[in-house]
Amino acid sequence: MSPAFEKHLNLLDYALSSLWRRKMKNLGIITVFAGVIFLVASFQILTSSLTSIAETMLAKTPEIVVQKMSAGRQESIPLSYLNRLDGVFGIRAAVPRIWGYYFDETSGANYTVMGVERNAMPEGQRLEMVIDGSYPDAEPGGAALGREVAANMNLAGRRTFSLFRPDLSLKTLRITGIFAESTNLLTGDLLVTSLDDARDLFAIPDNLATDLLVYVTNPNEISTIAKKIAARLPDTRVLTRPQILKTYKVVFGWRSGFASICLLAALAAFAILAWDKASGLSVEEKREIGILKVLGWQTTDILTLRYWESLTVAGLAFLIGCTAAYFHVLFLEGSLFRPVLLGWSVIHPSLKILPVFAAGDVLLIFTLSVLPYLAATVIPAWRCSTISPDAAVK
Amino acid sequence: MRPTHSLVLIILFLLILDTALYAHVRFQQETVQRPAAHLNDIVTAGLGLTDLCLATEARYTRHPAVSDPIAPFMDHLGAMEHFPTGSFWAPPQD
Repeated sequence: MSPAFEKHLNLLDYALSSLWRRKMKNLGIITVFAGVIFLVASFQILTSSLTSIAETMLAKTPEIVVQKMSAGRQESIPLSYLNRLDGVFGIRAAVPRIWGYYFDETSGANYTVMGVERNAMPEGQRLEMVIDGSYPDAEPGGAALGREVAANMNLAGRRTFSLFRPDLSLKTLRITGIFAESTNLLTGDLLVTSLDDARDLFAIPDNLATDLLVYVTNPNEISTIAKKIAARLPDTRVLTRPQILKTYKVVFGWRSGFASICLLAALAAFAILAWDKASGLSVEEKREIGILKVLGWQTTDILTLRYWESLTVAGLAFLIGCTAAYFHVLFLEGSLFRPVLLGWSVIHPSLKILPVFAAGDVLLIFTLSVLPYLAATVIPAWRCSTISPDAAVK
Repeated sequence: MRPTHSLVLIILFLLILDTALYAHVRFQQETVQRPAAHLNDIVTAGLGLTDLCLATEARYTRHPAVSDPIAPFMDHLGAMEHFPTGSFWAPPQD
């Protein structure tokens, strides 16, 4: 064992003994620090996991979505717009779709009602694989429900239910199937009907649809074709698959939102607390430093000792905080952040997600927590190490 | 036992716990998530879905990908954003 290594091992031994002598104070600091890191790490793991889920689950989202805009709002798009896309080279298919929101007044829940001609959709013929039952287009009046919708309606074995049209007349629908649980993060609030039934429920005229889904022959040409569509239909908004996928990176981005700012404020508050605690030396601590200096310890030795103390506290708090955060997201479904994430949503799928904790996330949390702590304690450590021994012992 | 040995034992325990949690997640990914991935592709492509069903309280949090960035403020003149999830979800940017 080299002398330098042996020296640091001995200093670490002394630092640990010193920490243990003031165990109540130091355990308190580790607990609070680990708690702050736990909150930051939980938030980071949750948002990283949701971003990753969005990327994989929405990989097959429509290549181009065309919405009609009027006075800054989206409105129904005329089906005659399909004819104006005829001359755009590279379009494989353009499919009208009707969808919207239905507010269930009895439960306060919002359902997403969707009607689409499945034969025109990619993978449309295989939709039965994700439905426990059948797709609702065999005969009029059918509906496939998301699991959360079915649970919220409290059907108690009934196979039919009624929804209000805009004129408050009732439209009765028959349940043909329930979406598979594994697709719950996509279909939880869905109520899928045939195109005609969705049109009837929302009283949308035959010549209108909610939006158009455009599929292209060559995926490399998505942005070029989107520009051509925007030029031909200037009163529309054209969204592309890359834009849709980018949305989730932005909405869950680290800098986005109020929650991350609150958590960073908590970290800053802890760094100030650490500074305050480290700079206020007790008489006993001053005497200890004085005695060490009388015994021949150099200023660098005391600085190294303080460095080991800070690193032990911060390192342990970091490991405990990150482990607890991983556990929190994996087994408790991020329950602390659920109220912030889900808000007043009446129906929402369970957040049974597998945490994604990349090396970049670990580094980010380490940089935001451990480094500020070490920085906050280094100047007080230098100040205490430069105390003259006779003044300290007196 | 030297104090350093106690510290090493504590750190080892935490690292083994982390490794076990990570292994559990990898196992779940291989046995549960990967086999179900094609079902998600079918439902996304078959219905043309654009968003995850996470927050259903407002249309711009249910479908942020196809909503306007200013949607939270569009309900009436001088509207304030008031849904709790609005504070968590930043607006999409082009």
